Amino acid sequence: METFLSNLSLGFSVALGLQNLGLAFLGCLVGTLIGVLPGVGPVATIAMLLPITFSLDPTGSLIMLAGIYYGAQYGGSTTAILVNIPGEATSVVTAIDGHEMAKKGRAGAALAVAALGSFFAGSVATLVIAALGAPLTRVALMFGATEYFSLMIMGLVLAVVLAGGSVLKAVAMILVGILLSTVGTDLETGDERMTFGLIFLSDGIDFAVLAMGIFGVAEIMRNLAQPESRDVVRKPIGRLLPNREELRQSWAPVLRGTLMGSILGILPGNGAVLAPFASYAMEKKLAKDPSRFGKGAIEGVAGPESANNAGAQTSFIPLLTLGIPGNAVMALMVGAMTIQGIIPGPQVMTGNPSLFWGMIASMWVGNLMLLVINLPMVGLWVRLLKVPYRLMFPAILAFCCIGIYSINSLPTDVMLIGLFGLVGYLLIKCGFEPAPLLLGFVLGKLMEENMRRALILSRGSLSTFITEPISAGLLIVSAVLLVAAIIPNVRKGRDEMFVE
Amino acid sequence: MTSRLKHPAKGLIAPQNFAGGIALILIAAMALWLTRDLDPGTLSAMGSGMLPRILAWAVCLCGVVLFVSAFLKSGERLERGNLQGPLLIILAIFAFSATIRPLTIGPVTTPGLGLIVAVPLSIIIGGKASAEARIRELVVLSLGLTPCCMLVFCDMLNLPIPVFPQAVIEIFPDGWSAKSILRISALVMIAAAVAVFYTGRKSGLADSGESE
Repeated sequence: METFLSNLSLGFSVALGLQNLGLAFLGCLVGTLIGVLPGVGPVATIAMLLPITFSLDPTGSLIMLAGIYYGAQYGGSTTAILVNIPGEATSVVTAIDGHEMAKKGRAGAALAVAALGSFFAGSVATLVIAALGAPLTRVALMFGATEYFSLMIMGLVLAVVLAGGSVLKAVAMILVGILLSTVGTDLETGDERMTFGLIFLSDGIDFAVLAMGIFGVAEIMRNLAQPESRDVVRKPIGRLLPNREELRQSWAPVLRGTLMGSILGILPGNGAVLAPFASYAMEKKLAKDPSRFGKGAIEGVAGPESANNAGAQTSFIPLLTLGIPGNAVMALMVGAMTIQGIIPGPQVMTGNPSLFWGMIASMWVGNLMLLVINLPMVGLWVRLLKVPYRLMFPAILAFCCIGIYSINSLPTDVMLIGLFGLVGYLLIKCGFEPAPLLLGFVLGKLMEENMRRALILSRGSLSTFITEPISAGLLIVSAVLLVAAIIPNVRKGRDEMFVE
Repeated sequence: MTSRLKHPAKGLIAPQNFAGGIALILIAAMALWLTRDLDPGTLSAMGSGMLPRILAWAVCLCGVVLFVSAFLKSGERLERGNLQGPLLIILAIFAFSATIRPLTIGPVTTPGLGLIVAVPLSIIIGGKASAEARIRELVVLSLGLTPCCMLVFCDMLNLPIPVFPQAVIEIFPDGWSAKSILRISALVMIAAAVAVFYTGRKSGLADSGESE
């Protein structure tokens, strides 16, 4: 308990420093600003703003990126409620009842409950991370190369199983992602791999280039194909504070959503996406009158919003303690950390405690700031929502170009985002999701390294992965999950959950 | 059987998976061809070629399964997308990278025109990718956004991005500081954006007046 408190106070002393406070604020503000724009979700936002943080020190840049992430998430909920366009998968559920409330002139209450619920969930999740960080890191420090390889396999399998859509296609995308990570000079042998003899590929594919291509540019191409229909609420937003009745209805869903989100978020898969769906389903089951759902029930906003924020935050746990990113945003975080020279994993907490605890404390600070940024400035966000997409995407495009160019001053990098954008667009057209590809790409190098090391230690015997007990356990869990996801009955249930 | 009745095109009942399968097989084939000379090594001393080749075969396997499933299980159609939009976006990106600084591709070297040309160029070319594009709006947007980018990235953040065409920089008298030129031209551009915006509105109003 004492170490827990001293760790937290170390964290707050870092996070409350003037520079870090400013960066957290800037991150939250910019994240909200871009996250509010319909059609631009958190992943695209972070990918776009990644280059800006390169000039900062590691702690500051991670604090700012985390701020951008929460900001974009909050902004996405605002868009979901006011325009009925969920910025990303986690606010799909919010749009159902939130937008109905807005149509009835209760947008203010919906926004306020979403913000307050998220703040509460964020605070609890911060404590959960702080409490679980140390013990999980201790476990992770016992892992050797063999265990790490199996752990990464399990992380990737969970990511496939917990996401919606075809299992086969997701597996294929992960494999392609790992394949892309092998492009460039092989560190062990010095051979050039799949570089076409091009000099700028000999360092491998730049992470920011790939991320911006398949998330930024491909998203623009995808959005252009869909005709724009926006249904911005014309009704006044209404009182920004929920009344006593609304608060009474919301507090239990907020508590349940927080609990569910915190647990699901820890899973190294896409727990943050699953949590709001699960919370919505639970609130509907528990409600005395389930028919209210879909027509503007405040519980349908309070529960899922808390769940998604708690899940978003606890999904940092596998990243910070084990070094395994659970979803696309965490993959971007790994990219940012690697660029700053930090290898994600248990050694971050032991070797760089001020960064680790500072980032955790900044999560709470960021959540508080978002509460302050979002509620009073809602009028500004509403005005932003009226900017049509035909003016927004050229601006996004220009920012992407400048951002990528500023990293290495290489025009070829800019061309590559166009190329990856097209590849990403074609893959989306064929029904593939880009997120698993990025996850595979981020884990690819680590996987190869650990696999090599494990095989050297075992003198070339593959059986080491099943004779070491921890590794065997992890692989068995992955196999069971994968088989379960393919079995028709379970599949059906899983698909239904995502449809609902 | 029923699905076959619905889809008279014999056999192929999941065009999206069909295309996806082919795409995966092509990716795998390319990777296998590129890694043909790399040494796979042995399990106890993995060479550089081992993992890429294993992965390529695994991708190929996924592709084959997807390809075969397209004939067995009905699935989504392949939406016919308009390729004009994506191509214009790529053109815009290439225009940016060709003009931001001198770039040599084979025998050709593009003139380095700097941010002040590259950003408006990419906005206007890229903006045309939308079906509802209006050229005047795009001009206002590029006149307004370019100075903001100049001020934020080159003035405040001090990133080493060329702003002006190289030929123009040589013309400037020695005594002028680069920053003040940057700020003055940014202000001029913003003023131009405002001017175009308001004249556009007036003529737009006049047009609608005439039509009534």
